[in-house]
Amino acid sequence: MGFSATGTPRFDVVVVGAGPAGATAAYLLARDGFRVLLVERGRGAGSKTLYGGRVYAGPLREVWPDLDREAPIHRWVRVERLSILEGERGLTLEYRTPKAYSFTAYLPDLVKWMVKKAVEAGAVFVDEVRVDSLLVEGGRVRGIRAGPDRVYADVVVDAEGVNRLLLEGAGIVEPLEAWRAPVALGVKEVIKLGEKAVTERFGLDDDRTGAAWVIMGDATGGLPGGGFIYTFKDTVSLGVVLRLGEAYREAGRPPLDSGPYALVERLRLHPLLQRLLEGGDIVEYGAHLTIEGGLAFMPDHLAYDGLVIVGDAAGFILNTGYTVRGVDYAVYSAKLAAEAIKKSLEAGDTSAENLRLYEKLVRESFIYQELEKHWAASKLMEEWGTAGKYPSIALRAASRLFEAESRHPTLWEAFLEALRASRATLLDAARVFAEVVRGL
Amino acid sequence: MRIVVGVKWVPNTQAVRFDPRTGTLIREGVPSVVNPHDLQAVELALRLKESYGGEVIALTMAPPSAREGLEHVLGMGVDLGVLITDRVFAGADTLATSYVIAKAIEKISRERGPVDLAVFGQETIDSSTAHIGAQTASWLGWPYIYYVTSVDEVGEGYVRVARYLEDRVERYELRLPAVLSVAMKTFKPRPVRLAYKLRARLEEPILVWTNRELGLDPRCVGLRGSPTRVAKITFTPEVPRKKLVYKPRDADDAVRWLVEQLLKDEKASKILRAVLGGG
Repeated sequence: MGFSATGTPRFDVVVVGAGPAGATAAYLLARDGFRVLLVERGRGAGSKTLYGGRVYAGPLREVWPDLDREAPIHRWVRVERLSILEGERGLTLEYRTPKAYSFTAYLPDLVKWMVKKAVEAGAVFVDEVRVDSLLVEGGRVRGIRAGPDRVYADVVVDAEGVNRLLLEGAGIVEPLEAWRAPVALGVKEVIKLGEKAVTERFGLDDDRTGAAWVIMGDATGGLPGGGFIYTFKDTVSLGVVLRLGEAYREAGRPPLDSGPYALVERLRLHPLLQRLLEGGDIVEYGAHLTIEGGLAFMPDHLAYDGLVIVGDAAGFILNTGYTVRGVDYAVYSAKLAAEAIKKSLEAGDTSAENLRLYEKLVRESFIYQELEKHWAASKLMEEWGTAGKYPSIALRAASRLFEAESRHPTLWEAFLEALRASRATLLDAARVFAEVVRGL
Repeated sequence: MRIVVGVKWVPNTQAVRFDPRTGTLIREGVPSVVNPHDLQAVELALRLKESYGGEVIALTMAPPSAREGLEHVLGMGVDLGVLITDRVFAGADTLATSYVIAKAIEKISRERGPVDLAVFGQETIDSSTAHIGAQTASWLGWPYIYYVTSVDEVGEGYVRVARYLEDRVERYELRLPAVLSVAMKTFKPRPVRLAYKLRARLEEPILVWTNRELGLDPRCVGLRGSPTRVAKITFTPEVPRKKLVYKPRDADDAVRWLVEQLLKDEKASKILRAVLGGG
C-alpha cells in the first residue's frame, strides 16, 4: 500500500494537520475504505492544538457515537457563569441546568483519541513532519511537499489550522497582517487544584460536573478581548483572548509591557478569582491564535481542484462573546468534507466542481448559518464588545442598585443612569439590544 | 559498513520532578524522548553511511513504548530498529545493560553480517553515567574512544577519529570493529523526513527481541545481574533568597547599593566590618 512503481508514495487522500478537523476527515475516509495519509507537524497527534477548554458534544456524536463512553472527557458543563469586571468590582450571572450540552477535555488527549480511531480504521499517521507546500501541477493540487519528499494524492484536505502557511503559499488566502487580521491571541494557563478543590471552590455538584465562565469588561486591562475559566478533572484553565490588532498596537505599553501573559496573571489576582485559584500549581501555559469573525477569515472557496479546506483554516470558529465554538465546527466541517470527497473519489473526478458539494453542504449546515447569523452581532461586539460599553453599563447599573445607601432606584432608573454615565443614548442601547437579540 | 547505534528511551528530564520524601523520580505524566545525546550518535552514523555506504541499525533496551523512539530515528534515516524488551531485563544497571547490548551486537553480526562500528551518545540525560560505551567495548573486546568530535576517515579495517579536549586535539586510528561515543553538541541531528517516516509506518522495520531470542543467563541481566545499589539520594537544600532587584546607574552606584544591603544584614555586616577592620 502507498508506494507506486516509481517509489513515490501515492494515496487517495492526504490530510495535513492532526487536529480535530484533520483527525475526523482521516477517520471517516479511512473507514470508507480510502487510502488516507494524515501528516502532523508536532510530536504526536494534537500536540499543536490549544483552546480554552470546552467542546459542544452534539456535532461530535454524529461522527463518534462512542464519544460519551470512550472519549477522555473531564467534566460535563452544567454551570455557566458570566462576569463583568471593573476595577475591583464584579457582576456575575450564573445559569445552572441539569442537562449538559458540552464538556471539558484536554484537546491533545481528545485528538489523540480521534487519531487512534483513524489509525484503527486504516489511516496512516505520520508525525514530526512539517509539510512545506501544496504540490501544484497543471493548475491543480496533486499532493504535498515536505523537505525533499513529495506525496501524491487525489485530494488534499487542508486542516492546517489558523496559521495558514500552505494556503498562503498557494496564493489562496492573503498572508495575515497582525494589525488588521480578524484574529485574536489566546493566552492561558492550567492551574492544578485537585479534584475535590475544583468541585468545591467552583460550587459544582460532583466530580463529573463542570463550569464554563466567561469574563467581560476589565478582564484584559481595557483592551478589546475577554477572559475565560473552564474546570477540568483536577485543574482549571484560566486565560484571556486579545484582539491581535490591539495587542500589536499596544505591545510594549501597559498593560502589555511585560507581554500578554501578564494579563492572565492580572486576572488570576483579581479579587473575584484569587480566592478560587489560591495555592494552585501552574502546570502548563500556552498561547495560540484564534479567529474572530469567521466569515471575514473564510477563503473565497472551501474547495479547489484537488483541495478542500476544513476547520480553523476555513474560518470555522463562532465567537459570540459569551460562547466560543470551534472544535465541534472543525469536526462537523470535516464530516461534510468527507461526504463530498467520498462522492468525488467514487465518481473519479476530484475537480473543484465536484468537491464544491462540500461548500454547498456547509452553507446548508448550522456552521454557516450560525456564523452568518452572529455576523451582525459580532460587528457590534467590535465597538460595544466584551471589553467595551455594554458590560460597563451593566456594571454601573448593578452598582446603582446595590451600593445605594438611602435611596433605592428601580432597575429602570439604574439602567438609565448607567447609560447616561456611559454617554450612550437610549436609542444606542435599543439599537444594540435589537441587533443582539436578533443575533441570539 | 554496518553501524549499530545505541539509543536510550528516557523520561524528558526537563519535565521530571523528584518526590522529596522518597527520593524517587515522579514519572507520572512525564513524556519520554530519545536521549538527545544519542541523536547525535545517530547523526554521525547516518553521515558515515552517506560517505561509505552500508546500513545503520538502532538498538534500544526498553519497555515496548520505546517503539515510538525507534520510529523517530527511523524517520531520520536509520534502516532498522531493534527493540530489546523483556521483563527479565528490567531494573538493570549499566553493567547488566551493556552486557545485553554487547550480546545483541554479536547476534546482529552473526545474523545480518559483521558490525564494523558501534556508536553511542556521550551520556544519558536521566543518569549521566557515560558507562555504556566503555562497558560494551569491554564485553566485545573492541577498542574504544570517547568524546569523539569527528570521524576523519574509514579505511580497510581501520577508522581515524579526533577528539577536541580543553587544551589539545587528539587523533586516533582504531582497528575495526570499534566502539565510539560522540561528544555532546557535535553532530546536530537532522529532522525527520516524510519518506523515511512513512516507510517506518508502512513497513515497520523494527525487530523485537526478548530473552527467548537472545538466550542470556538470567543471572547476568536485569536486576539480578546488577551489582549497583542506589543507597541514598539527597537534595541540596533550597537557600532562601532575598529576591531584591536593583537597577544601578553605574558601577559605583551598584557597589554603594550592594554595601548598603550587606550592612543591613546582621551576619554579613559583621563579616564586612571584620574584613575592613572595624570601620
